[in-house]
Amino acid sequence: MNKLLITEITRVGPAFCVIGLQRENDKIQSIRPVPSFANGWAHFPHQRGDILECALTPFPGAKPHVEDRVSTRGFTRVAAVPEAETVVYLRKSELAQSLHDLFDCRIYENKKGSGLFAKPQEARRSICGCETQNLRLELCANELRATLALPSGEVLRDLPVVDRDWRDFIDAALVERRGANRVVRLERFLNSHFHYKIMSCPHHFIRLGLTRPFHDLCWLMLDTLFPLPKPEWLQEF
Amino acid sequence: MTRLSNPRSEEKDPLRQLVEECFRREAGNSVAIPGDDVDLIENGILDSMAWVSFLRTVESASGAGELGSGFNDRSASFAAVMAALQERGSPAPEVSPSGPEHTISENGVPAIIAGASAAVGSRVIPSEEVDRAFGMPLGKLRDRAGIESLAYAAEGENELALGASAAQEALRAASCGPQQLDWIIATSETHHDYPSLAAQLHSRLLVREDCGALDVGGACLGLLNSFAVAQSLLVSGQAQTIAVVTADVHSRTLTPDRVAGEFGGLFGDGASAFLLRRAVAAQSDGFRLGDFLFGCAGHYASAIQVTGSQGGRLDVQFDGEALSRAAITRMEKVLAAVELRSGIPRAAVGGFATHQPNPRLVALLAKQCGVSPEAFPPIAKTSGNLGSSMCGAALHACLQAAARQPAGERKPIFLASLGPGLLFGGGWLTPHDGLVSPTC
Repeated sequence: MNKLLITEITRVGPAFCVIGLQRENDKIQSIRPVPSFANGWAHFPHQRGDILECALTPFPGAKPHVEDRVSTRGFTRVAAVPEAETVVYLRKSELAQSLHDLFDCRIYENKKGSGLFAKPQEARRSICGCETQNLRLELCANELRATLALPSGEVLRDLPVVDRDWRDFIDAALVERRGANRVVRLERFLNSHFHYKIMSCPHHFIRLGLTRPFHDLCWLMLDTLFPLPKPEWLQEF
Repeated sequence: MTRLSNPRSEEKDPLRQLVEECFRREAGNSVAIPGDDVDLIENGILDSMAWVSFLRTVESASGAGELGSGFNDRSASFAAVMAALQERGSPAPEVSPSGPEHTISENGVPAIIAGASAAVGSRVIPSEEVDRAFGMPLGKLRDRAGIESLAYAAEGENELALGASAAQEALRAASCGPQQLDWIIATSETHHDYPSLAAQLHSRLLVREDCGALDVGGACLGLLNSFAVAQSLLVSGQAQTIAVVTADVHSRTLTPDRVAGEFGGLFGDGASAFLLRRAVAAQSDGFRLGDFLFGCAGHYASAIQVTGSQGGRLDVQFDGEALSRAAITRMEKVLAAVELRSGIPRAAVGGFATHQPNPRLVALLAKQCGVSPEAFPPIAKTSGNLGSSMCGAALHACLQAAARQPAGERKPIFLASLGPGLLFGGGWLTPHDGLVSPTC
């Protein structure tokens, strides 16, 4: 049996993608448990910070999703660690300071529009953590997007935010029963309180991921943003 | 800037053309243009990634910033995009076979370039000599970068001397006395002394005491930054006549004891100057400034970084391969945005006054853009990369070429440049009823 500290739960369309940290001797590495029939889970009832027991095949997935392992049995929650401690472990896992080092490959600019991508055959992994000099979230055409500055000073724009908790938070902020001007209120929050809460948090940390190859390109996305949003923040705007 | 309210038929609506062109770039030519009310996401025509990408392209092409934030309560349709653009009064291009009919300021007075000049260092050095000075294999600059020779400042030549020489020629070409200048706007990536270059030019040219002097940064993007500032002063009515001057003497800054040859060996010395005026009825000659677009592609920030270090050395982080890729990708993107925003097809452009990092990259850019390399004046080939003066020298050459054409046959000129950051900018010029008067 394997033990995974769940660090990523992302939502893309109807499915959830999960990544956890696994300790092997002195090394902590990211592992993405996947069902044998798909790349994501239709239902995933656990939280980040949960330590789950599961059975994983030892075979890595195809590049760049080398973290993939087929899960042959269900998950059993055996313990949990707090958010700040989860980030401590993430900082000991895959970590980069610059754009090139994120996936150990060249990152390309979308010539015809926005976004950044890697080529599947060039990228050597599909998930990596980093500190940020600054980070901003915005709602663009109903899509949550992130712009951030890496420690190297390189700026990444228009990254789709697929972090389940943040997407749920945004959805909750926009439910009709919250009254009028919901979008404007949310934008005001993202432009003010959000920045303070995130950047002043001692365990602020992000993880960037690559999408599955789509037309032979893997697009960069913001998989995880710590700290996770708190429900009480919804009362502030 | 606003567009003229020309009556136009539905099928020639420039906003629609712009939106459709942006859509084609995102979805490809094989995808049919959807109906106005079709929701592009719900109907599976674009996924959410492509939808945002499409909106960003429309933002860039139309000059309507933050368009996407206005779409949180709208459908993902052409109709919604068109409505959003109309609400924002987007400066959409006027469409005509040879380019926009008019691009004018709010008060209806365009800014024109009435005179131009360029100068390069008078010592012409074969590139092999520079290879040797930097300890590189002989022929490296010629074979790898396509540089045949470099123009270096001679003893007695510096930024002030080269800039002043170019400015005086531009004034002469426009039949303009220095006392008519309201502003001198200077840019240089090598002049870091005080009094600043603009102040020194102010004294050297003997302009009026109440002529303003302004230094603008941006390194290789400095000329376009300066044009944008000058244009704002002119169209707002705060100035009538402005000299924009660039001057760079790299040969005394990027020396073999300070930087590696792969970087320092590329650069030459030069200057350029342009006399800009508000266009009035009695002054019809020149090239009219169109809109400018600017930005900063921060994901390329690490490709080139220059910082001063102790002992006078320059700490240069220069990833040549990454910078080359960035330069080509971004300038191609800038030129595409200029094409979209101006409504001028690149095939109708007479010259491309772009930054020229080196001749090889210029050839590659021309190939990527699908235009003739002949449309890019070969400045870097004989003079090297002139920094902030590169775009100016290329523009001067384009204006010279235009001056040789009959009045009615002159074509628009596209501008594009880059600076560390990676700053980028672009713009365009269109013939203004007559001939600009470049020297020589």
